[in-house]
Amino acid sequence: MPRQVCRPTNRGLIHGKLVSMSFQSPQLASQVVLSGHGLVKYYGPVVGLAGVDVGVRAGEALAVMGPSGNGKTTLLHVLAGILTPDQGEVWLGGERVDQLNDAARTVLRRRRLGFVFQDNQLLAELPADENVALPLMVDGVSRRDAIGRARATLAQVGLANEVGRRPGELSGGQAQRVAIARALVGEPQVVFADEPTGALDATTGSQVIDLLIGAATHRGAAVVVVTHDNSVAARCHRTLTIVDGRVHESLGATR
Amino acid sequence: MNPMTDLGLRFVRRPGPGGRSANLAAVGATAIVALLVTFLIAGSLGISHRSDRIGWRGGDQVDASTAIGATREVREQQLNGQHLVQIDLTTLKPNNAPPPPGLDHTPKPGEVFVSPEVAKQWSSLSAKFGLDKPTGIITEEGLSSPEELVVIHGVDKLDTKYPNYVDTWQTTQMDNRLFGLLIAVAFGIVLVLFPLLSLVGQAAGVAAKRREHRLAALRLAGATRGQVLWLSAVEQAVLGLAGAVVGLLGYTILTPLIAQIPLGGGRWYVADIAPNWWTALIVLGAVPVLSVLSAIIGLGRVSITPLGVVRGQTRKATSWLRLGFLIIGPVMLAVLGMEAAVVPLLIAIGFGALAVRIIGPFAVQVLGKMLANLSNGPVGLLAGRRLADDPKAAFRPVAALVLSGFVTGFISVFMPGGDGDPSWQDMRIGVALLMGLVFVTAAASTAAGAVGTALDQAAPARALRRSGVPLTVIERAARLAALAPVVGVGLPVVGFGALCGLALSGGQIFTEGNSGILLLIGQIVVGLFLVAAAGMAGAPVLRKASAN
Repeated sequence: MPRQVCRPTNRGLIHGKLVSMSFQSPQLASQVVLSGHGLVKYYGPVVGLAGVDVGVRAGEALAVMGPSGNGKTTLLHVLAGILTPDQGEVWLGGERVDQLNDAARTVLRRRRLGFVFQDNQLLAELPADENVALPLMVDGVSRRDAIGRARATLAQVGLANEVGRRPGELSGGQAQRVAIARALVGEPQVVFADEPTGALDATTGSQVIDLLIGAATHRGAAVVVVTHDNSVAARCHRTLTIVDGRVHESLGATR
Repeated sequence: MNPMTDLGLRFVRRPGPGGRSANLAAVGATAIVALLVTFLIAGSLGISHRSDRIGWRGGDQVDASTAIGATREVREQQLNGQHLVQIDLTTLKPNNAPPPPGLDHTPKPGEVFVSPEVAKQWSSLSAKFGLDKPTGIITEEGLSSPEELVVIHGVDKLDTKYPNYVDTWQTTQMDNRLFGLLIAVAFGIVLVLFPLLSLVGQAAGVAAKRREHRLAALRLAGATRGQVLWLSAVEQAVLGLAGAVVGLLGYTILTPLIAQIPLGGGRWYVADIAPNWWTALIVLGAVPVLSVLSAIIGLGRVSITPLGVVRGQTRKATSWLRLGFLIIGPVMLAVLGMEAAVVPLLIAIGFGALAVRIIGPFAVQVLGKMLANLSNGPVGLLAGRRLADDPKAAFRPVAALVLSGFVTGFISVFMPGGDGDPSWQDMRIGVALLMGLVFVTAAASTAAGAVGTALDQAAPARALRRSGVPLTVIERAARLAALAPVVGVGLPVVGFGALCGLALSGGQIFTEGNSGILLLIGQIVVGLFLVAAAGMAGAPVLRKASAN
């Protein structure tokens, strides 16, 4: 998988504000594909997000770090349209996401976003190719086409020989690669990953995150990764640290 | 208190996410078991109570020389178009024996005692017996049913060569019709036992994966296997007891309704079928014990190592070797022949049950694979793979339906020509009741299974929803997975049973017609509706458990 080499020309630390950057990579120089402005989210009296601005560009990998319970996953869910913010706006391309109803957000997530979870969350009954093909079939793609595209995507993540095996028959790293293929098969604009290496050993984790960022950004998709792992963040173009629901710092990193 | 007991009770009080639904499903399913067990015990006792009051009418098979009296049932009596029981009674020697139950004295020749329903229509009978009004009214103690039409007629001499002799009017000799009914009930209990045990297992197995994960965590924390099993036993015992109490209360509340079933000679006195204290004790003791045993057996199958990581593993497909076992049955029957009726019959029933256990999951697996491979959409794919992945679990609630459905399907068609005969009427109502019980049990099993599956599938379902898969797709797949075995395997077997009954009845249904086939079709429609509704029980649980 070709590696993206992109070096930010400046690094910034601005509390609560998106850092303006320019990139050497032509892909990263493209427009912001996903952005959140003034995002606020409450869970009853508890503040989940306290006014976050964030943007991510096509082909860019953004790591979201911070202590547990400080709003990382909430930010990911709000940006992905899983949760709606109490205040603020979320834009995907030219479309405002937070004002869409649940059904429209569901379709949007299916067609334009991809997801990778910590425990892969594959369906145990389905072989790898059908797990990957499922979102396409839900979207009305014929079984034959969906399976064909799924197998092609599995081949791209190095699992051409494992298409008929079920999650229980795969190693943790292989299962997570199936999850990456499932996230990528619909050609999403943004891939969200919540602790994608949390259940893997260091070596396998490195391989998986390289694969995720490489495969996604190669297709021009943005990647938003929630992680506690500095080595994962180091592989991303930028790192956003969330503390108490606010952007504590925003760093451009060198991969 | 033992720390594991304390922990087990804590798990019941605070079951955690999804746990409340699992506990409710387990209590609900156990309550159905308790209700049906109470029904079967109290119903059998009810038959016995009823028989105790009217058993004397048929005599108690004593020698004529020692008998104090004799009776004869005058056949084919009618009162305004309805079947009337007329018992002629004579006293053979002077005695101080207490009168028959419900009568204030033993009728002298010419005296007539009637039931309250006959008294209301006495004008139709007064000429026949030559009395303006009956000598007395039979009280509840002498009637089988509140609306029974019965006349006890004192005579000088019985008009028969074969009177029924008695040496006491208070005999507890079993009434013939009720004896037949009691045998039918015993037969029914055998048929319902299998579905009931299956339901107990299903109730104990709700959210089995969740429990396995928790127990694996406890093993990691250093608990011994024994401690882990004890904790599960405590948890299941509390849930089982709660279910038993709910079931017992449910039965008690439903008793007036159940008393309306016109089986064995009319509707029932509520007191006859109300559960007594020792029935309650049996239910409150046996049901929780069965639940605990079932849960422990279920956990015993799971290897919880000290580092018990729970991961999905490939299940073995039904082997052709097991299918090969089925040949042994017919071979044994061929060798033994059918002359000695009992042994071949037992072998046939045994292998019938074995066939259901082996062929059923195999058929579900084939059905699942076909569904998954032929479907072009995600619903069929998900449902089919789920069935093919664990056909035994999918077949469990249907197994009960299939085995009992086969027999009841057979009986309901193979009973033409008996319209009007009280025994046939009993059989027809009995079959309807039996099928009802089987369907309720199957529906409860399906519901418990659906809730369990919903809870087990919550995490991947949540991930799918976040990824943009609509909840409706997941729910429809769950419904299809619940219904497909019923329609694809259950119905054909019930139909096959009906076909066998039809063949044995020599196709009389087409020449004479009977209500059996209508009964069967009606029951199947209602049963399918019940099972389908039960399959949907998982939907709200899945919706809640997979919500963000």
